[in-house]
Amino acid sequence: MLEMHHVGKVYRTELVETHALRDFNLKVEEGEFVAVTGPSGSGKTTFLNIAGLLESFDSGTYSLDGQSVNELGDDERSRIRNQKIGFIFQSFNLIPDLDVFDNVDVPLRYRGFNSGERKRRITQALELVGLASRMKHIPAQLSGGQQQRVAIARALAGEPRFLLADEPTGNLDSLMARQVLDLIEEINRGGTTVIMVTHDPELARRAHRNVHVMDGKVTDLQPFEPRPLIVAGEERSVRA
Amino acid sequence: MLAYHIRLGLKSLRRNPVLTALMIGAIAIGIAVCLTALNVFTLVSSNPLAHRNDVVYAVQMDNWDPKEPWWDDHPELAPFELTYRDAKAVLASDIPDRTVIMRKTAMIMAPPDGVTAETAKPFVSVVRMTPPDFFPMFDVPFKYGGPWDDKAEAAADAVIVLSKENNEKFFGGEDSVGRMVKLDDREYRVVGVLDDYYPVPKFFDVNNGALDDPEDGYVPFERGQMFELQSAGNTNCWKPESLNSFRDFLNSECVWIQAWVELRTPAKVAEFKAFLDGYVTEQKKFGRFERPLKTKLSKVSEWLEMNEVVEDDNRVLLGIACMFLAVCLLNTVGLLLAKFSGAAAVVSLHRALGASRAMIFRQHIVEVALIGVTGGVIGIGLGWLLLLALRQLYNSYEAVTHLDWSVGLIALALSLVAGVLAGLYPTWRICRLQPAPYLKTQ
Amino acid sequence: MELRPILSAMLRNKTGAILVALQIAITLAVVTNAVFIINQRLEKIGRPSGMDTDNILFIQSYGFAAAYNHNVTVQEDLELIRKTPGVIAASTINGIPLSGGGSSTSYKVDAQESTADVSGNYYEIDEQGLDALGVKLVAGRGFSHEILRYDTGQPTSEMVPEVVMTRDMAKALFGTDEGAVGKRVYDNLGQSATIVGIVDRMLGAWVDWDKLTQVVFHPVVSGPPLARYIVRVEPGQRDALMKELETKLGESNRTRVISWVRTHDYYIERSYKADTRMAVLLGVTIFMLISMTALGIVGLASFSVNARVKQIGTRRAVGARRLDILRYFMLENWVLTTAGVLVGCGLAYYFSYWLSSAYEVPKLGIGYVIGGVFCMWVLGQLAVLVPARRAASVPPAVATRTV
Repeated sequence: MLEMHHVGKVYRTELVETHALRDFNLKVEEGEFVAVTGPSGSGKTTFLNIAGLLESFDSGTYSLDGQSVNELGDDERSRIRNQKIGFIFQSFNLIPDLDVFDNVDVPLRYRGFNSGERKRRITQALELVGLASRMKHIPAQLSGGQQQRVAIARALAGEPRFLLADEPTGNLDSLMARQVLDLIEEINRGGTTVIMVTHDPELARRAHRNVHVMDGKVTDLQPFEPRPLIVAGEERSVRA
Repeated sequence: MLAYHIRLGLKSLRRNPVLTALMIGAIAIGIAVCLTALNVFTLVSSNPLAHRNDVVYAVQMDNWDPKEPWWDDHPELAPFELTYRDAKAVLASDIPDRTVIMRKTAMIMAPPDGVTAETAKPFVSVVRMTPPDFFPMFDVPFKYGGPWDDKAEAAADAVIVLSKENNEKFFGGEDSVGRMVKLDDREYRVVGVLDDYYPVPKFFDVNNGALDDPEDGYVPFERGQMFELQSAGNTNCWKPESLNSFRDFLNSECVWIQAWVELRTPAKVAEFKAFLDGYVTEQKKFGRFERPLKTKLSKVSEWLEMNEVVEDDNRVLLGIACMFLAVCLLNTVGLLLAKFSGAAAVVSLHRALGASRAMIFRQHIVEVALIGVTGGVIGIGLGWLLLLALRQLYNSYEAVTHLDWSVGLIALALSLVAGVLAGLYPTWRICRLQPAPYLKTQ
Repeated sequence: MELRPILSAMLRNKTGAILVALQIAITLAVVTNAVFIINQRLEKIGRPSGMDTDNILFIQSYGFAAAYNHNVTVQEDLELIRKTPGVIAASTINGIPLSGGGSSTSYKVDAQESTADVSGNYYEIDEQGLDALGVKLVAGRGFSHEILRYDTGQPTSEMVPEVVMTRDMAKALFGTDEGAVGKRVYDNLGQSATIVGIVDRMLGAWVDWDKLTQVVFHPVVSGPPLARYIVRVEPGQRDALMKELETKLGESNRTRVISWVRTHDYYIERSYKADTRMAVLLGVTIFMLISMTALGIVGLASFSVNARVKQIGTRRAVGARRLDILRYFMLENWVLTTAGVLVGCGLAYYFSYWLSSAYEVPKLGIGYVIGGVFCMWVLGQLAVLVPARRAASVPPAVATRTV
């Protein structure tokens, strides 16, 4: 599904070279929920940016959904992001001028759906996150948790194969964080592959497996064990 | 998708109303100033007879002082007007298809007895004295009637073609053909009334200013000599000679008559030029034309250039207006750069959600075009107001301050191009943006 | 001071800095040249005319009827005008000074054909002419009534017996105006006249003529059909007398019409209109140009402040005073402006070079450029003050706030 072999990424400025990733290897199977953990500066976000085709890399190979992305041009990358990948960010990244409906609409516009299809998908996605009644609100009128749920709806509306989340609960209090995580788990149960970057071990525990990154390398790779769907609360105890 | 781009563009513009107003204002004012300067420049540098430029020629021959040229600054030029004798020689040639020798004079114009309208008062009018070829040669439009015929010209009959303005003053704008007006207390029969005729510049006689008003009426050329009327235009003399009567004056080396010919083929041009050279060579035998042989036929466009009709001031102003537009555009580029760099996070987000560079480019170029077009439209309105204000600064006919619509269209295109040009670099920059760094934190 | 960090910050945002500097450069170049041209025009318009222009009016009568008798009309008109209370002096005159229309001829110091001639505006006036113009006689005398020649409307090449001329005309003829009275001037037919008086200064007909100050007066009453009168009145009486004289003269004689009664200002304004127009248009344009550049500086500085709020907060948190922040932005602007004016000086001289070679305009004085540079500095500092003050008011707590 997602395979990275010996991926390397170097940031260069006039003064220093930073090896954000070096010899990074990871394989994620379809339907997995993977948490990527590690201290800040370890390269988790770089990994997520490369996985989400937001950034290029300098060495190694990366294939997504059976397709090698090494040679893809910018337009093709944009198309893949639009159709196969959904993003959730720590700071929600909603567009402040657009209301909830229009925010969810943005990727669908780029996808080229007609207005009926867009409306159906937006409504469906907002119902899933429980915000169908807030369609005409602008982001500033919503709580942090609600904003992040809108962001999730936006990520889901295109029915992506992958959901990439970067510290999705970092800016939320614990109650809201829990609601958001429940939602992500529910999406994963629906068959969407989820990769979540976090430095919070509590959150990481709710994933199927944890990948620990240190100095741009995977240091602790747990194999994927297919298992029956379990309720979130019980899952935690299993993994512990 | 265009509608969507426009909707997002408008939202984005509304986010920083002050900045948006500043950008639109900058483009609008730049366009307005440039439009105004360009409009005045196009009008004064235009050629009202462009459609007949290839067949109508001004006639010059150098009869000036052997000791010094006619114009110290341009010693290569012959006088702009002819002596009476030489003008009559030009008129006598049957080579040209049409010939006009003319001058203007001041006369009291009065309505016929019985016309007592408030506007119909006697006044000192300026009358052009010319053969009737003047009208077809310069494509002068008639409202009523037409030119007098050759017989009337030969007899120097008391006939007149009135300007539209004076026909309105005296006859309320009615068809006055066949009615009488008085010039210096003598009756003249109206044979024609002109339609609007305000050539800018007044190419056929720029001696008293290229923006001079047109004449009040037109009468046969020889009427002026019949009554020994002095010229109301320029008279230039160089020769030490006794001038003690009007006859002396007519035979003098003073230049005061404008001469134009219509020559429809290059062969005729050559033939007439040879005629002029032959005439001057012949006259040299009588001790005239002591300077080197110089005769010249100039197309209207060449004539206007030779007469330096476009004042230096107009060029300087146009140059400064363009500089001003450049500053306005630089200003807009700077503001757009600032605005777009502030939008990096939002653009990155769109990129993450799958917008290609082309889509981002389109989005921003639409935004820029919105600014450009709005600025342009406001600019044209503003330019029009500026032209109205400019009217206060000119002496003569208001034509200089008429908005030339072709210039208006140029300005609109200019604003669009200017807006897009100003936006191109900032847009290109934002398309090159790497989205990743802007997504992590806001 | 903190110049180095400012420069490196600017280098990181090159484009914005270059844009502002370019605007300043163009503005400086255009403004210095425009102010220079404006000053030239204002000097030209402000030249003293040598006449009592404020209290002069002109009247034109045009005889058209068969019964019109020119000399009688002129005599009666002058009598009527001169006895009207408030009138100081009145004369016939062939043309209106500074009107753009007039007559000129050439004069020589002897009758030799090879002698160079000197052009002069000539005005035909009667015995009250100098008084009516309000010119100042500095040597000799004016004309007497007895010497006047009455023209018939036919051309004439006859020379007058006496002339009065301006100092500048005498200088152009003899190299000095000392002792000109009593000398003779010649026309190019070899006829001569005695110079009986010198007036201090008077401007002739054409404001763009380089020999405008060379004026000669002839004791002649011009012939029919036009009679033009110049009337000098008591200060403050002009407008009232214009109406009164127009009515009186119109009623006194039906064989002619009074074409118009006009002030001298009417003609002067017309003649200098092109110069006034140039000065006004240039003035408006540079005002707009300066405003535009100032707005550009404000706009860009505001954005730079917005983008650096957090940085400013951090600086404040580590101990920068408000004044330090203010100074940072002012200094940044000063560096930018200085870069701009350096380019602008070159550009200003380039424009000036182009103008002087293409349009015969004198070269730009160094004073204008120096003045322009100072103005740009002040303009930049004033424009950046608003955003800089806003920057200085950023609270230090911003540093620790997220989002």
